[in-house]
Amino acid sequence: MSDEELLGDTPIISTRGLRKMYGPHLALDDINLEIKKGAIGILGPNGAGKSTLFKCLLGLITTTSGEGTVLGHDIRTQGEMIRSRIGYMPEYNALDPNLFAIDQVRYSGELLGMNTKHATQRAHEVLEYVGLKDQRYRKIETFSTGMLQATKLACALIHDPDILICDEPTNGLDQRARSFMLQTLNRTVREGNRSVLMSSHVMDDVQDLCQSIVMIHKGRIVVQRSIEELVEQVDKEVEMVIWGGASKMEYELNSMGLELRRLGRVIRVKVTSEKTIDQILQAAVSAGVQVRQMKEYEPDLEDIFLLVMDKLGSQIKGTGDLMTPEHTGGV
Amino acid sequence: MEAAFGSGDGDDEATAVVARSQASLGQVFEQKYRPWDGDLGPRWMRNYAIFRHHVYGVFTGKGHRQYHPMVRLLILIIFLASLTPIPMLFLSSFIGDQGGLFEKMWGINRYNLWGQVLGYFPRNLCMWPLLTAVIVGGMISDDRQHGTSAIYFSRPVSRLDYTAMKYLSVAIILGFVIVFSYFAYYTSAIVFKSEGWAYLADTLPIFFGGMLAGIILVITYTSIGLALSSISRSRFFAAIGFLSIIYGTKLVSLLVELQFETTFMYALSPYDCLAHLGQFLLGIPSNYEHPVSISAVSILAMNSLAVWLLVSRVTSLEVTRE
Repeated sequence: MSDEELLGDTPIISTRGLRKMYGPHLALDDINLEIKKGAIGILGPNGAGKSTLFKCLLGLITTTSGEGTVLGHDIRTQGEMIRSRIGYMPEYNALDPNLFAIDQVRYSGELLGMNTKHATQRAHEVLEYVGLKDQRYRKIETFSTGMLQATKLACALIHDPDILICDEPTNGLDQRARSFMLQTLNRTVREGNRSVLMSSHVMDDVQDLCQSIVMIHKGRIVVQRSIEELVEQVDKEVEMVIWGGASKMEYELNSMGLELRRLGRVIRVKVTSEKTIDQILQAAVSAGVQVRQMKEYEPDLEDIFLLVMDKLGSQIKGTGDLMTPEHTGGV
Repeated sequence: MEAAFGSGDGDDEATAVVARSQASLGQVFEQKYRPWDGDLGPRWMRNYAIFRHHVYGVFTGKGHRQYHPMVRLLILIIFLASLTPIPMLFLSSFIGDQGGLFEKMWGINRYNLWGQVLGYFPRNLCMWPLLTAVIVGGMISDDRQHGTSAIYFSRPVSRLDYTAMKYLSVAIILGFVIVFSYFAYYTSAIVFKSEGWAYLADTLPIFFGGMLAGIILVITYTSIGLALSSISRSRFFAAIGFLSIIYGTKLVSLLVELQFETTFMYALSPYDCLAHLGQFLLGIPSNYEHPVSISAVSILAMNSLAVWLLVSRVTSLEVTRE
């Protein structure tokens, strides 16, 4: 299924002028969202308002002003209808450690109004889908982080929701578990034709899964676009590996008036004109250094994120600054 | 078979069995998205699921909320202990002890009916508070500790339904032990003594008075216990807190009475307020100097305060993080 087919025209989530205040603190300010079907990444630093936005969309908290709909239901008055059509996978632990996985998932289905027979049958199906078929009858307290995340996903998927909201689904997962989680979410979007709203600090995850992103900063939406469009907006750069005096090379490039970023031997230079490559080679000759490798640098989502955050004056050097030990699994 | 039992040598249709060039390895795991098009049930089904999850766990160790085996054993012991007057009644009728010691100790009268629910020792010293403490201990605090409140509130379960079902679950378990044992005690007395309509007409009002007192006790203990469970993340705190309130207020009131010869302080003790009200409902002389209305108002205030605390703490339960 192509991206065009996935991204239908009708927005599944739309908000207009959404505002939420906690006392004097403004948590969300003038949120105007138009989210279409597919996989959407919600990005933003800690405290940006992502969780508040989720709570508003789930109809759990009353908004101070503004309006919005999720799957055609009003977020101010039809919270229960919304929650019965949405699957929410919380960021933090939300499982009873004393239950078997099958019982936990079945119970989460029953809480949606499924009868016991259907909930049990469906619990078997979704646990198999998330890769926990053989662990169904194990107590949750014995589960690894990856298995806990998968169980939470199974709980969210039990009623085959139209929209799946995942709050940091790859939190603390190792590479293998992370790939499997992303593959599962991807399959849910492509095979299941469902929408996924995912918040994450790991840009690679968002880039792997999502077609578009919504970036929130200090309660406001600063970017709401497809990733492809955003990549095109980022300045083109040339990346090279320098041997024999990266500092001298940096000095030469600076003296030629070129904009650059340096990380050890690796230097990235902004391409401003057709002559930039010639200027770089000339600088290398002047500095007497070897250019071991030179290629056009392909910007990723992290570059976009940092660029936007930099423009907003946020003191973030890298996405690592946004993470707590919980995000990295204590590493 | 031919080779073993027949005349042939078994080579008439000789064929060699060889391994296939490509062995079938099978599919270990095929991830496939399966849609579900069933209908979700109405509100009562969701509420019943919460109720069932908490109540069935007392009876079965699988599939529902886990109560520690020792907790389940304790509940069983308390339940059996609350039924002890029944065998004594049987013994009384068996030996024909009309108006004797057994009849006085365990027969149906105002004092014994009051004592079945509101007697201090052993019921309100060793049984009901302990029973309440172990039941309410993790009822809400576990959701806080494990973040399982998100499982409820990210679904179409309102906070009112959540609180009401937790409350009902605790009240039903307590009611089953306290009120049911009271009911069983009264009915078994009728059966064992072969009592008739006249007896029923005489004792039913007293019985209903005691049952009402029992229901108020269940409601009060549930309110206080759940409120304590809702303010903590530890089932131990809730249980110890409840026992401290019940025993602590009783002890302080007793010390004040001994020192200052006034019973007014008992208006702060949940047990004594219930006992006082129970004495009024069953029509037996009061042990307290202050009017019963003070105890009634005190019970009302305690319940209101506890329910307010419970509601405000449940409102603060988070979905996104706890």
